[in-house]
Amino acid sequence: MRKIVHLDMDAFYAAVEARDDPALRGIPMAVAASARHGVVMTASYPARAYGVRSAMPTARALELCPRLVLVPPRHDAYRAASLAIRAVMRRFTPLVEPLSLDEAYLDVTGLGPSATGLARRLKAEIRAETGLAASAGVSFNKFLAKQASDLDKPNGLAVIRPNEALAFLAALPVERFHGVGPASARRLHAAGIARGADLQTRPEHELQALLGSAGRHLWRMAKAEDDRPVVPDRPRKSLSVETTFEDDLEGPDAVAAALPPLAADLEARIVRAGFAGNTLTLKLRYAPYRLRTRQAPLAAAPILDGARRLLARSPLEGPVRLLGLGISKSETLTIEEQLALPLG
Amino acid sequence: MQRNANRTKPMKLVIERAALLKSLSHVQNVVERRNTIPILANVKLDAQGERLGLTATDMELSLAASEPARVAEPGMTTVSAHTFFDIARKLPDGSEIALEQAEGSGEVTLQAGRSVFTLPSLPGDEFPAMAFEDLDVRFRVPVEDLKRLIDKTRFAISTEETRYYLNGIYLHAAKAGATSTLRAVATDGHRLARVEVDLPEGAKDMPAVIVPRKTVAEIRKLIEGIEGEVQIAVSPSRIQFMLERAILVSRLIDGTFPDYERVIPTGNDKAAVLEAKPFADAVDRVATISTERARAVKLRFEPGRATVSAVSTEAGRAVEEIDADYAGEPLEIGFNARYILDMMAEIDGGQVRVEMANAAAPTLVRDPGDAGTAYVLMPMRV
Repeated sequence: MRKIVHLDMDAFYAAVEARDDPALRGIPMAVAASARHGVVMTASYPARAYGVRSAMPTARALELCPRLVLVPPRHDAYRAASLAIRAVMRRFTPLVEPLSLDEAYLDVTGLGPSATGLARRLKAEIRAETGLAASAGVSFNKFLAKQASDLDKPNGLAVIRPNEALAFLAALPVERFHGVGPASARRLHAAGIARGADLQTRPEHELQALLGSAGRHLWRMAKAEDDRPVVPDRPRKSLSVETTFEDDLEGPDAVAAALPPLAADLEARIVRAGFAGNTLTLKLRYAPYRLRTRQAPLAAAPILDGARRLLARSPLEGPVRLLGLGISKSETLTIEEQLALPLG
Repeated sequence: MQRNANRTKPMKLVIERAALLKSLSHVQNVVERRNTIPILANVKLDAQGERLGLTATDMELSLAASEPARVAEPGMTTVSAHTFFDIARKLPDGSEIALEQAEGSGEVTLQAGRSVFTLPSLPGDEFPAMAFEDLDVRFRVPVEDLKRLIDKTRFAISTEETRYYLNGIYLHAAKAGATSTLRAVATDGHRLARVEVDLPEGAKDMPAVIVPRKTVAEIRKLIEGIEGEVQIAVSPSRIQFMLERAILVSRLIDGTFPDYERVIPTGNDKAAVLEAKPFADAVDRVATISTERARAVKLRFEPGRATVSAVSTEAGRAVEEIDADYAGEPLEIGFNARYILDMMAEIDGGQVRVEMANAAAPTLVRDPGDAGTAYVLMPMRV
């Protein structure tokens, strides 16, 4: 059984603006490119209370909430925040699939006993490093994780467990399933299908006859059979090795003695992969699940020297259960970004 | 198989390999490689009068075609589309193919020259025909117009699943000034292509529809090398293309196409006119250096010239200068080279007009020789 986290930043653009300008906190405000024409990109939660929504024409938003404060977008600030958030997520796992600047899936299978605890730490670290709140959904597939992140917004954390999944899906209106637009919804309703429960009891071929291949997809979603993998969106940007010790390593000398085989292993892999990085990372996991990383630019000196310097940089926080070494390319090197058409 | 076997009816005919292949090569294309419903892997054979009808479906679209045949015993059955096609393909030129199914048999015998194949069959009356709805809007489009609508837009169709309503061509009736037009639009969220042709008689009240990518690809193959007109019938959920020897019926994408006119800029005041081929060639050469997937190139416009350049942390640098008719303030703007090249492949005239506002706003690209097309490119930050 997989463990998937869907992370969704709360009112992302509006939250970045409120973080950077205290005058915008707690008031109805929205980010919009133009006050006269154009649409709301993101509305703050106080603005949402008036019914202001994303993609709504700004004129309509001002009708609903005359004292709405409109702020022009600062895309560079959103990109910077997004990069920082992704960096936090990638400290937990390389299996991060960003869906947009403010939304991503993480596959955290096998990373400790509690995916929920991990999601809580993820939220806390994002908060600490960016000052922004996120909502997380935890479940065993992408569709359910995404549904879960919606359950407890803002600043929420919700879990859909395997034994709850079918009941949750049974209660879900068909409109909430991915790919069901107004016309499909009408067709489903005409066939007496209003909720997930109706999808679960119909045979697959009936839904396929009704909606084509979208019907098959829908049937599988309703049965909690969503095996779409979390696909990291970028080519290899890092390479790492690690070892877990049967007996925790006590003290810096014991840890230092464990470094040479790791460094040799990493060097061999770098040669095999033909990969050139510019940052060295030392990973230390203390018992039971406290993970710390230390990073430094990779000098021309052997990796082992760099690893020793990182180890000596500050004292250990306790016995070490897992030790890892990795190299990566720092993200700031890739600054190209394809802009999106403002389709709404 | 046993349950089905006793319901099959006899069928017997002879067809020329060349005629069979002409239709079967199109029809078998529709069949998906993997199917959960076994009969969807099959092609329906329907021998009636002096013709053999061939039909395949993936439940999204159905393609039916027919070819002349000598029918000794009218009837229908279904056999594996890909197996049937492979056999027909490998038979020698000029072969005559005899097909026969005995009453109550679950097998079809195919004979050509000294080759005999016996293929398992499923009954023709169990083949899922796609439901026809009230397709009351019907009109005829010249083949050349249909090709134009498809060719000038399909490269911009999105493949991204999450925005499924962009996974096709948006086809609708529109007004261009006083003229009524049939318009096709496609976008992947980064670029957009719009083309129009004269509105055919009878198309005025057509619903605006999103034709799925696969349907676009299939109809485009069907009209290759054909002249004349295609009859189109359309409802809010179906579109049907009728050719002389084939009918394609397809579901439409259920969704709302975004208000695309909003993103087509009208007041971009920095305009450059470039020679089309030297521009495309320069972008292609310079992009050799661009990084990874992004393939970014930078364009710098100055009075009288444009510079195309690319920088990569690993692969080096490239720069090329071309002539440009440009009189505005110097402007630097980045684009995905792939997007420029896809678009330039559809510019038929010798020149291209690039209208920009700034380095972060939608850029309009026109073919000065073709007022019916417009392309919008979103820049890259570089």
